[in-house]
Amino acid sequence: MTVAAAVAALVGVLALATALGLLLRARTGRARPTRTNDTRTTTTDPTTADLAPAEAFGTEATLVQFSTPTCARCPATRRQLDAVAAEHPGVTRLEIDLAERPELARRFAVMQTPTVLLLDRGRAVHTRFGGPPRPAELTAALDTALAATATTPGDESP
Amino acid sequence: MTATNDPARGIDPRSPRFGAAITTVLLAATIVLTLIPATWTAGIVLLAVIVVFFAIGGIAGIRRHPYGALFRRLVRPRLGPPAELEAPEPPTFAQQVGLVITALALVLALVGVPYAAPVGAAIALVAAFLNAVFDVCIGCLLYVWLVRAGVFRQRSAV
Repeated sequence: MTVAAAVAALVGVLALATALGLLLRARTGRARPTRTNDTRTTTTDPTTADLAPAEAFGTEATLVQFSTPTCARCPATRRQLDAVAAEHPGVTRLEIDLAERPELARRFAVMQTPTVLLLDRGRAVHTRFGGPPRPAELTAALDTALAATATTPGDESP
Repeated sequence: MTATNDPARGIDPRSPRFGAAITTVLLAATIVLTLIPATWTAGIVLLAVIVVFFAIGGIAGIRRHPYGALFRRLVRPRLGPPAELEAPEPPTFAQQVGLVITALALVLALVGVPYAAPVGAAIALVAAFLNAVFDVCIGCLLYVWLVRAGVFRQRSAV
């Protein structure tokens, strides 16, 4: 291969890496609502009941954080969620180490850590964040979840 | 899981990114050198050096990495103190990933697989580039994929 072709190949690899980086940056931490009126719902909600003992869930909403031991962002996200939970009565935070419960990574289709699920009163997944949640989007999603009247029947509301 | 605020354990998060920037440049040179027949041998030697550096970081731990010493001597005195310290496990895991990819590429290249060196270097370069430029955390992505693939049966101490 000529020098020019070799350099061109390198430039191609760098362009690919840059595109990937921009894509990841644009998507990370965005709120993805899972309970919209969108009719193209393809999957049923995975159960959240066995994530933690019942008393660990918030009465109004629960922030579930999936972490791994090799996750550099998880400690900061933990503090962020703790601060948000402290500001909202009835909201608690759960943290789950996927290294200890690998089956949950598959059930909730976790592709990165931290992944944060916002559960509503009925413990259904209201919003999902891949990566450290963007603060404004987390607050907005939580406000929506708290404002909504409890619509999921069959759950005890202490 | 991790005691990130313990100064005895934590590392400056800018140190692994500085190291990833050096690694990116070395891997870029490896790609070009191994694609040109006249400089193939020099490229393979450079790849072997990169493998050794990844082995130090991945096996001895990120705090023993030579680039870390370089960062502390040359870069850190010119910067302010870090906003917060990070756990050493995530960058150490990233070093182990780099070690596996580059060592495999080196072995395949030495047994005569065509383009093994530039392709392996390109894969490692994408990871190092994303880490250095976009602050993408490899341990936040790849570790979860390995968990989902069933690589970790039990909790493994990385």
